Amino acid sequence: MKGYIGKRIATGILTIIFSFCFTFFLIRYAPGNPIKVLAGTENPNPELIEHLTVKYGLDKPIIVQFTNYIKNILKGDLGYSYMSNEPVIKLIKEKIFPTLLLTLTSSIISVIVGTFLGVHAARKVGSIFDRIMCGISYIIDSTPGFWLGLIFIIIFASTFKILPTSGMHDLRADNEGFARVLDVIRHMILPVGTLSILQIPLYFRISRSSVLQTMSEDFITTLRATGMKESRIFNKYVLKNAIIPTITMFSLSLAFTISGVALIEIVFAWPGMGRLIMEAIKKRDYPLLTGIYLIISICVCVAMIVTDIIYALIDPRIRLE
Amino acid sequence: MSLLEIKNLNVKYKVEGKEINAVRNISLNVEAKDSIGIVGESGSGKSTLAMAILRLLPEKIVETTGEIIFDGINLLEISENKLRKIRWKDISVVFQKSMNSLSPVHKIGFQIKDIYKVHEPNATDEEIKEKVLELFKLVNLADRVYDLYPHELSGGMMQRVSIALSLIFYPKLLILDEATTALDVVTQGQILDEIMKLQEKLHLTRIMITHDVSVVSSTCKKVAVMYAGYLLEFGYVSDVLTKPKHPYTQGLLKSFPSFTGERKDLRGIKGSLPDLSILHGGCIFADRCEEATSICFREKPKMVKFSDSWNVACHLVVGEDYE
Repeated sequence: MKGYIGKRIATGILTIIFSFCFTFFLIRYAPGNPIKVLAGTENPNPELIEHLTVKYGLDKPIIVQFTNYIKNILKGDLGYSYMSNEPVIKLIKEKIFPTLLLTLTSSIISVIVGTFLGVHAARKVGSIFDRIMCGISYIIDSTPGFWLGLIFIIIFASTFKILPTSGMHDLRADNEGFARVLDVIRHMILPVGTLSILQIPLYFRISRSSVLQTMSEDFITTLRATGMKESRIFNKYVLKNAIIPTITMFSLSLAFTISGVALIEIVFAWPGMGRLIMEAIKKRDYPLLTGIYLIISICVCVAMIVTDIIYALIDPRIRLE
Repeated sequence: MSLLEIKNLNVKYKVEGKEINAVRNISLNVEAKDSIGIVGESGSGKSTLAMAILRLLPEKIVETTGEIIFDGINLLEISENKLRKIRWKDISVVFQKSMNSLSPVHKIGFQIKDIYKVHEPNATDEEIKEKVLELFKLVNLADRVYDLYPHELSGGMMQRVSIALSLIFYPKLLILDEATTALDVVTQGQILDEIMKLQEKLHLTRIMITHDVSVVSSTCKKVAVMYAGYLLEFGYVSDVLTKPKHPYTQGLLKSFPSFTGERKDLRGIKGSLPDLSILHGGCIFADRCEEATSICFREKPKMVKFSDSWNVACHLVVGEDYE
């Protein structure tokens, strides 16, 4: 087990290093130039361009830039954003919490609700509930997320005025403590609701088919033949065997949502990483982008390692590798 | 009284608008301490018969009619709750694919313990472990298997685990459904030996389902030959396998090397199993039977009874009817 975890962590670190190198060069070789954005597109001053290029070290060969960057990271310095001149680490720190709040809450809600519905549908396979849920899951799958978000805003915020349209808290109210928490929760309902509804069908289908598959395994017949009660077979044996694909799905979607949540964040004006990434890409803010990618890849790898460990705890066959 | 009495058992699978008659009108008596081998080619309904006895067929798509009387109780009529009390305690089974017969993510000991507690909820863990280890010894398994997972064992070891598991309550009736088919001949031989010893010791009644006639001839007292859902011939191994009366049994035996005597050419039976979703008017084997006459295609043969409970369903076998 120790060897297994060590191996996973080593793989994780290698993945982070590789993805870091890849994105570092990709961003810098991509068309576009941050200096031009900074100096303005109309009538740029050549001296200013020259000055900025030297100031940000962009005159040096890319390999030198790379080694300098590595040296700085090892000191814990992710550099300064070209746009705001603030430390990258500070910008990310500010934005990562709202994003994690959004993604973790919605992922956890959808894994619980989706799995519950899926298991229930599988127990009554072919029933009206099962058929309706399957139909709904395909409809939601073909619904664009931003559209769903907009519709929710129209219904709950504009028409009924029961929930705020955007943001993470009420800017006019200056709440403290518990009142502030409540305010954030109120603001979270629509974006988290949208994200959850989008993800629930994935967990629904995966847990449904996984339970159905487990139910048809030979060992279920053995257990039935022993006179064990159906409910006991289900709760003790089927669920533990059927939960593994759901865990895979959870870690995959967690990794995806941390970066893929941008569109929903923009729809709800949520002060998260999504908008930070969009701005950084638009303005070719190299240090900020590199920093964001690094942090995202670390998040993804941590999620993967945790998943692998949970896997091994549940399924002894995986530990053997 | 017989331990198990099957009367006019019919099993129909209803799939995609078709009705597949997997077991047709089978009547069979199993006396206590008998050992009966059920042989037949793939698709002849042997496993369906076994699953029907245990009532393990999916009830939604299967229609079972007839009577299965075990120890005076008709298993097809009693409630699920009553049936659960009989399962494993009185009738247990060793399944074909032992490798998958236990949950892969639970330890073997944990599962056996859990199964033991189904019928003995008050048993303590130590008590159960002691009993299981004793059974492990009987089937030649090391104690450490108790704390292993199924994937950590070889096929032969898992087979022994399945056999040990099937014996935890010393059931009256033990059904082995192709239990040794997946094993190599050496392991198969060992396990069959063990089973026969256990049978002596524990006074089991055994039904052995297999397509391997040699397994039946070496381990069973009686044999039932099935074909396309029908029981064609039934009797003592010493009768049926040495001087078979039914042309199908004769053909089946010709496709195996003989146990004694000179070497003969092996011959298969021409043709293949009939479509079970179509009802056949005459003898089910008539299409492939080399000796078939016109009556074989017209009328269903009746069971002709001989001494020593030797039964044959064939128009060509007549004359010696003792009843």
